[in-house]
Amino acid sequence: MPMSSYDVELIDIVKDFDSGGGPVRAVDHVSVEIEDGEFFALLGPSGCGKTTTLRLIAGFEQPSAGRILIRGLAMEGIPAYHRPVNTVFQDYALFPHLTVEQNIMFGLQMEGVDKKAARKRAEESLELVRLPGVGARKPHQLSGGQQQRVALARALVKQPAVLLLDEPLGALDLKLRKNMQYELKALQRDVGITFIYVTHDQEEAITMADRIAVMNEGVMLQVGSPREIYEHPESHFVADFIGETNFIPGRMLERYPGGYGKVKLANGSIIRAQLSEAFSRADGPVTVAIRPERIGIAALDDRASEEDGEVTALDAVLAERQYIGTDTRYTLRLQAGIELVARLQNINEADSHEFSIGQPLKIRWRQSSTTVLDR
Amino acid sequence: MEARQTLINESAMGRNRAIRQAGRMGLWLNPVFAYFFLWAPILILVLFSFNDSKSVASFTGFTLKWYSNILNNVMGAERAFSTEIMLNAFRNSLFVGAVATAIATALGTLIALAMARGRFPGKGLLDGLLFLPVVIPEITQAISLAIFFKVVFDWFDLISGQRIFPGFHTIIMAHVTFNISYVAIVVRARLADMDPQLEEAANDLGANPWQTFWRVTFPLILPGVIAGALLAFTLSLDDFVITFFTSGVGTSTLPVFVYGLLKLTVTPEVNAISTIMMLLSTLLIGISLAMQGRAASRA
Repeated sequence: MPMSSYDVELIDIVKDFDSGGGPVRAVDHVSVEIEDGEFFALLGPSGCGKTTTLRLIAGFEQPSAGRILIRGLAMEGIPAYHRPVNTVFQDYALFPHLTVEQNIMFGLQMEGVDKKAARKRAEESLELVRLPGVGARKPHQLSGGQQQRVALARALVKQPAVLLLDEPLGALDLKLRKNMQYELKALQRDVGITFIYVTHDQEEAITMADRIAVMNEGVMLQVGSPREIYEHPESHFVADFIGETNFIPGRMLERYPGGYGKVKLANGSIIRAQLSEAFSRADGPVTVAIRPERIGIAALDDRASEEDGEVTALDAVLAERQYIGTDTRYTLRLQAGIELVARLQNINEADSHEFSIGQPLKIRWRQSSTTVLDR
Repeated sequence: MEARQTLINESAMGRNRAIRQAGRMGLWLNPVFAYFFLWAPILILVLFSFNDSKSVASFTGFTLKWYSNILNNVMGAERAFSTEIMLNAFRNSLFVGAVATAIATALGTLIALAMARGRFPGKGLLDGLLFLPVVIPEITQAISLAIFFKVVFDWFDLISGQRIFPGFHTIIMAHVTFNISYVAIVVRARLADMDPQLEEAANDLGANPWQTFWRVTFPLILPGVIAGALLAFTLSLDDFVITFFTSGVGTSTLPVFVYGLLKLTVTPEVNAISTIMMLLSTLLIGISLAMQGRAASRA
């Protein structure tokens, strides 16, 4: 008889820490609902409150205000060792004095599972993380990646309602991290357990998560699917933190129906641009955000660059050109000192040196590719 | 012009090299002197415990007779020496050491845990006070303990009419007071090396604080606890000043007994006893350090 369909609910959570110079607010009125079986990422820079949020759910910290529900049950006053959640720690936190098998059996023995059954489940758990046969070893005899898997097995063997992962791939090297991202996602799909995944790596969050919550300074700024977060950022911070973005200062002139506005850019151009969902004003200073890969470049005499109803075209000069293998990165200078970065894929080898530095160009983008944000 | 420049540089370089060599020589000699001062007296003591002559003026030959003397009730020329009294003092030492170590290890470990994990007002001050017995002069501590026991026993006498006399209980209490600090310091160093996330991990896996302590924290700090206990035991065995001021009749420990011998005359047998005590202490401290080292390398 679940009281709600959510696995985890945070209701107006506040967490203040006492530091020497008065309380510091680590989590600032965070409310979010996480669904059963969801892969949910908490994304933000270090010190944004994402790890604190995770620790509040785990029960290592108590909220200063607000409520946490897990499977509809209020967690207030319930210690970490009675919560139906398990954690994969950043540095794994494997018990160095126990073997791998004993590490995995630890949680089962606390539940009172008898030794024989616990041993069997430990072995199954090691198979699940594709690390069979290492049960007799001590953690320090394993590589970082293997320790990571043991930490995962130790948490999963408890069959928690929610698995909390605190930057679990942070200590691994790039290649291994990429592999583990893929494996973790597949594993989560297999076991069907809700994952709450803390990371500062936006790429990791985008590739793995069903939904992402972007946090900064204790505030949960935006929650949405990776696509929503990337395509429709609602704030300057989110647009900046996720991927690369050009920001062009401007002034809102008029609001059109259908979520568009008329904006005068700092260089004097007047454009039509899509408003972010959070944008509510009809005038005043704004920032227009546009992703580098959404900007097209054409020579002045290129016929296809003609402006039509849905495309914005502006004059620019090529200031710099950077070859980065798959793409070429162009720095474009507009009037009034505005610089934009555009990225074009190198479909043919010749693409990378089609335009020369100092050449006047036409740049263009679809109006739907822009986002108007509060400055 | 260029050639002259080179010449000047070469002579300057030569001078620099000479200075560097002198410096190296000085640096090399420094530890030689330091170790000489450290070890020469001890080496002489050990050497003369094997000296065939009774005089310390010259080494006339190797002998083990002083060692056999102390086991055969003989001491010095024509003077009776009671091996039994010496062995009794040694037993006293072991007894005091064992009891004081057990108490000090338990209390010191608890204090170390409170200091490392607890959050309470005045922690900084208490932390500093913990080091006090390590730094205050031993004689100060000895006298303060002697006065303290006297005051307490006087009060007790006044209230109950019963007189308590100093004995093993006073020596043990005194040893516990200074040993707590050493144990706490060693265990705390071990705790500082331990990842606090391990306790959270145990918690997370369903272990309550009691289970977490016995299954995770204690096994991990055990090498530190053993090292602290060995250190405490050694300090207890070696202690003279505090023991001297807090012991009563018939409770002399080995160092107090040796001091008693010295009051009469320095004999080669004293050298032999001292050598044995030194070897025992060195062995215990060696084990203690090995435990700490092993703990550190495993963390």
